[in-house]
Amino acid sequence: MPEAPVIIDVQDVSKLFRVGKVEAVALQDANLQIHDGQFVSLIGPSGCGKTTLMRLVADLIEPTSGRITVAGKSPKEARAAREYGYVFQAPALYDWRNVLANVMLPLEIMGWPKGERRARAEEMLRLVGLEGFHRSYPWQLSGGMQQRVSIARALAFDPKLLLMDEPFGALDEITREVMNFELLRLWRQTGKTVVFVTHSIAEAVFLSSHIVVMTARPGRIREIIEVDLPYPRDHETRESERFFELTTRVREALRLGKEGEGAVGGAASVGGKGAGGPAKTLAKVGY
Amino acid sequence: MAREAADGARAPAWRRALSGWVPLAVVLAVLVALMYPVALLLGLPLARTRMDNVANWVRATTTPKPLSAAPADVGAGAPAGAQLRFGGAENLTTARSVLVYGDRPVDATYDLLDGAAHLRDAVAGPLLEWGGALTGPLDARSPGDADTPADVATGAGVSEGVAGHVFALPAGRWEALYLGGRLLVPGADDAIERPDGVLATFTFPEAETGPVLVNGQLLLEGEGFEGDGRRIELRSPAPFNASVRRVSGDYAVLDAAAGTIALAEASAEAPRVATATLAVVERLVGEVDGVNRVFHLQHAPLVESDAGRRIMLEDVELSPAAERPAERVDGERKAFTFTSDRGVVTVNGAEALEGRDFGRAGPVVTFTVAPPRNAALRQYPDYVVNDPATGVITLAKPPAAGSRVWAATYTYYDHPACGSSEIECFLSMPQHPMPFPHWIAKRIPAFLTNYPLSDARNVVRATLYTAGGTLTALAFGGLLGVLLAIVFVGIRPLERALLPWVIASQTVPIIALVPVLLLLLGNAGVTVQTSLVPAALIGAYIAFFPVTVGTVTGLRSVDPLSLDLMKSYASSPLQVFWKVRFPAAVPYLFVSLKLGAAAALVGALVAETESNNRLGLGYAIVGQVQAGNVSDVWILLLISAALGIGLVALVGLLQRFTAPWERR
Repeated sequence: MPEAPVIIDVQDVSKLFRVGKVEAVALQDANLQIHDGQFVSLIGPSGCGKTTLMRLVADLIEPTSGRITVAGKSPKEARAAREYGYVFQAPALYDWRNVLANVMLPLEIMGWPKGERRARAEEMLRLVGLEGFHRSYPWQLSGGMQQRVSIARALAFDPKLLLMDEPFGALDEITREVMNFELLRLWRQTGKTVVFVTHSIAEAVFLSSHIVVMTARPGRIREIIEVDLPYPRDHETRESERFFELTTRVREALRLGKEGEGAVGGAASVGGKGAGGPAKTLAKVGY
Repeated sequence: MAREAADGARAPAWRRALSGWVPLAVVLAVLVALMYPVALLLGLPLARTRMDNVANWVRATTTPKPLSAAPADVGAGAPAGAQLRFGGAENLTTARSVLVYGDRPVDATYDLLDGAAHLRDAVAGPLLEWGGALTGPLDARSPGDADTPADVATGAGVSEGVAGHVFALPAGRWEALYLGGRLLVPGADDAIERPDGVLATFTFPEAETGPVLVNGQLLLEGEGFEGDGRRIELRSPAPFNASVRRVSGDYAVLDAAAGTIALAEASAEAPRVATATLAVVERLVGEVDGVNRVFHLQHAPLVESDAGRRIMLEDVELSPAAERPAERVDGERKAFTFTSDRGVVTVNGAEALEGRDFGRAGPVVTFTVAPPRNAALRQYPDYVVNDPATGVITLAKPPAAGSRVWAATYTYYDHPACGSSEIECFLSMPQHPMPFPHWIAKRIPAFLTNYPLSDARNVVRATLYTAGGTLTALAFGGLLGVLLAIVFVGIRPLERALLPWVIASQTVPIIALVPVLLLLLGNAGVTVQTSLVPAALIGAYIAFFPVTVGTVTGLRSVDPLSLDLMKSYASSPLQVFWKVRFPAAVPYLFVSLKLGAAAALVGALVAETESNNRLGLGYAIVGQVQAGNVSDVWILLLISAALGIGLVALVGLLQRFTAPWERR
């Protein structure tokens, strides 16, 4: 597999939030490289800075220190160039727009011609399996369908990157599994780079090509695990031995991260295991 | 629950209607039903007050009851055993009556039964004395216009309608009128309502038929008025303070000054006047034993200022006059000089007794104890009315045993004009503090069509006018409100600078603000009495505030996620406003517009009222309140309420069309 170009490059990035007089370190000295076409999951306990990292990449917030490059540009330029589509925890659909109009929203903003907008939005809705719901209003759809609309909206303007911040967090287990299959299919079909924030180990293992394990207080990247499960992945994948091994590894990494806070320098060994993957990613844990 | 839902979906239309409208209708019905007891609760005390006030009672006059039929031979007298009928004497008894001829009691014993006297003794001399005949019939429409006596005499200019009703009396004293030998009984009912110059509907205590007299002008049913039992409707309103009467007997005095009478029924033949007749009169009740001085009249309460009262002792009329002492009552003086050397002496209305309280030496009265300073000291030479309420009088001298004390004429309050019970009086009240709902409902069609649609006073027109003013106000207020909200949300420092003033603007009572505004507009050359501008301005002034507050809330209601989304699209601030902030504010905007519509209506009504804008509903309300037309005020309240609801519904309709996503 030829080396794909780096699309997201995070170098020594820290983020401090100040609430009144209290300072909270949301992210400390994060280093991460994501290559084109990867499906990277960020996993970790609450407060480990997953969402912060995503928002930094999306230029919704600015880093306190460090440097981020997105598609070769600064995050601000990348946002202006509409390099990424962002899927939020909640669908964030607009009540006053029907499904089709919601998907067309970014296209309107980006000044697409009217006819193309419609065709593109219809295509996206077909892609997420929502043809026939064009005229429905968001409140008439189930949670899963709403999130699909939100994905279709993020894909509508064909960004290089798809940033997904716990998009299925609010869904029930069954819907979530269905959505996982759908997402995997979409990723394979579109070949986009996906950065995916999740709380679920199984979801991360099932979906990702790489898993970034993070630890909390302060938020740090602990380890990057390559998921070498073969594609296409299906129900059998979930029952394979390798799947269990990988989930166990992620769980251990998370647990070690918790125990090893400021103590054991176990990063080298974990990092060693992560090395050698197609993505030359690096977890430099600065104890 | 699922089954219930399924049932709900399958329920027939009537059942869905039942669950939707019936509760509302039931509440409405209960409220309407509650208005009845409340109306009674508020109205009955007023009815009671009306009933208790003798000023509102029907007056009646006691007069001699003359022979009902003129005898063929008036000079022949009547033999013993003859039966003589007297008109109007049905309630008199032998013991309570006196037979008189002119002012002279006749010495004859008789039994009076049902208005007929059975003579035991023969009555000598004339039974009746004819005077002249009346002249006429005359033109009743202009009795005062008959400049030449010839016109009166010939009845020239008599109009067709009232021909035969009006006659002129001959000069001199007379006692009774006869037409074709039959006694004419006088009688007229005064209207219960007081003419205010606008009122055309009147009610009479008793009379249900007969012509109506308005200020000495005769009106016939079907020509000058339409009758409906005791209620009549004049073709044109009665002048202010006019006398409105209805002929209840055979005739009534039409114009006392001109000496004209009006017959209830037209006659070609002129009635004749009797200057004296044999008549029965009321005897005063009391022992006539030479000692008793206290008598009472057969009817009470008496009308105190009764100039026509005539009390007779045998054939001598007693004077009701009162004498004042020549000296001042200073609290020390005991001796006072009056004009007469006899009479009932009263101190502050209470009788003082000769021998006990005072001694008399001719016209000089000397008290044993000085009357208090400034006491009302009076001497009544003949008699004093002790108590008008019970009709008791005290004579100065006890009449000789067996003499006849009788009442030739006096006026008394007979019974309440409004009816004999509180409910009757309540029902006959011209205005009620709270009318029965069905009265209001009955009045609505007439009220709405009072004036043609082309007339500015037409209520439907006034309602549309006010609706126009309110909508204009709402449009301006809404626009201003939205613009302010956008400015506030967009430029924080401006909000800090302006918002306190905006709030303060709403604490200014509009009732104080309107006159100032009207002055300004008037000076700017706006005719405020006919202009929509005051209503639109004041309406806008109070409508913009809820719109501002609502829209600010709406514009700020956008969740951070939606804004992040817009940021991720690198959208311009204008795009954020039009694609997110404004649409998100629309539901808030409509809620506040509904509040604004109701507020604008209040503003428009106040502005119309204070600018005396006769084209609007506000003026109509105040006008009807001032005119005291309670039912109409209620109708206007209902119309205003309906207008308010209608305007809010209109905004709701607008919302349905412009913001369909809200239809859940």
